[in-house]
Amino acid sequence: MFDSKFLGLIATGFLETVYMTVSASLISYIIGLPLGLFLSVSRPEGIAPNPGLNRFFGTVVNLLRSVPFVILLVAAIPLTRFVMGTSIGSSATIVPLVIASFPIVARSVEASASSVRHGVIEAAQSMGATNMQIITRVILREAVPSLITGAASSLITVLGFSAMAGVCGGGGLGSIVINYGYYRGETGIMYVLIVILVIMVQIIQEAGARLSVKADRNTKNNN
Amino acid sequence: MSANDVIIHIEGLGKTYDEGKETEVKALEDVNLDIYRGEIFGIIGLSGAGKSTLVRCINLLERPTAGRVFISGQEITGMDEADLRLARRKIGMIFQDFNLLEQVNALDNVCFPLRISGYTKLDAEKRAAELLDRVGLSGRAGAFPSQLSGGQKQRVAIARALASDPEVLLCDEAVSALDPTTTIQILELLQEINRELGVTIVMITHEMKVIEKICSRVAIIADSHIVESGNVSDVFRNPRTDAAKKLILPSGGVEPFDGNGRLLRLVFDGTTTDKPIVANMVLSCGEPVSIVAADTKQIDGKTFGQLIIQLPSGTGSAERMMAYLDSENITYTEETDV
Repeated sequence: MFDSKFLGLIATGFLETVYMTVSASLISYIIGLPLGLFLSVSRPEGIAPNPGLNRFFGTVVNLLRSVPFVILLVAAIPLTRFVMGTSIGSSATIVPLVIASFPIVARSVEASASSVRHGVIEAAQSMGATNMQIITRVILREAVPSLITGAASSLITVLGFSAMAGVCGGGGLGSIVINYGYYRGETGIMYVLIVILVIMVQIIQEAGARLSVKADRNTKNNN
Repeated sequence: MSANDVIIHIEGLGKTYDEGKETEVKALEDVNLDIYRGEIFGIIGLSGAGKSTLVRCINLLERPTAGRVFISGQEITGMDEADLRLARRKIGMIFQDFNLLEQVNALDNVCFPLRISGYTKLDAEKRAAELLDRVGLSGRAGAFPSQLSGGQKQRVAIARALASDPEVLLCDEAVSALDPTTTIQILELLQEINRELGVTIVMITHEMKVIEKICSRVAIIADSHIVESGNVSDVFRNPRTDAAKKLILPSGGVEPFDGNGRLLRLVFDGTTTDKPIVANMVLSCGEPVSIVAADTKQIDGKTFGQLIIQLPSGTGSAERMMAYLDSENITYTEETDV
């Protein structure tokens, strides 16, 4: 079974998975980063409290997060068709991936941003910093290690979603597992793919943890 | 002093949390205060007295719910956000836990206020390096806060607060997290800054020794009010309120040896007398006294001694001793329930 056709299949699937995971994560951060920052600063104890908008966006995020991804995948088909012209293939899968992931990214960014010590923000206020300066020069800087950890865990979630998207013709490693492992019962292939996915997750996790430690200046063994 | 010399004028200031609700807390009520240009002014009180709220109301990190605050004649309480931000650049502030950016080094921490006020990176770094030099940290520009000691962190914070050439430096329990030796070094640095740059310093503290060491005047805050204020040496010599007495007595409080004899607090400032007062009093009255506590302090460069004695409980003996002290012009106060 490990012939060149199979290897080609796996290589294509791997690249598709990387493509889906990376692009969906990027787009999710383009939406989720500002949204997460807004959710953090608009809290009652934040620098720009805005209970109304905070509740509104918080509810949207919560609603999207409560829909299981498989269901969202199906429910998003009309939108996916409208945006991408098709609902099949790895590019089309990016649409539901983003819808499912940006709320997760937003919550993760919100948590990182809110973990910045209030005293540091207060010090910046005492120096006459604007809210925008506090966000860009204090919150985003101080939260870097935590943001990196959050990014690694979001990336892993998106990777998992992208595999799930194989159920609806999403492409990538997930599709191969469904088609070969499930429909054809070729369990050997399935196990190989499982190993590949586990390795991918481990790499992301390990890289995230190392980057975060490396970026963190708030530790004594950092020179 | 003339009114022109007043740099911080606080008028009828009040701060109530959760106003009108059941959880309403009055943190400050009817606070009136004038702080003069160039002085080191202390605000002392026990925790919960409202002193941190008061200092936060000076630069409006907290909005007072009543009253007005003027800095250099400008009413800061009436400003919009943009003007307030500009005004805040003339009011430096340092904190108990330093509040440095932990992910950037000492130099970049000092650059922060400069960058946000429009300095280029190069100019900011040049000025920041000078400031670090000024606070005695020239070799540590590249160190991150986690690599610095508490005293060094506070030096970085002082350099950062001085970056925008403030007229006022607010110090919120700035030495409370430091060990005694470091505390003295930081207080000396603040004194130096006050002397050489003419920056008015407002020290918030719960420790009398901080006030004694560098402040010229002090306000004592208790239960959301300023209960007493004046020259540090006057307050020390003759505290009028229980709050003041509590703060200036030797640490740990004073307990009489038994329930009967009255306690007197005698204050000597070196100019009062060079006679052995207590010994003479005992000899002249023919009765012994117990020394409960004694210490000396440096206030405003002068040495003050305080002595707490318990008088004998026999009829008339306390009165005789007090009459003796009066005749020798010794300042004393009677201590009750401290």
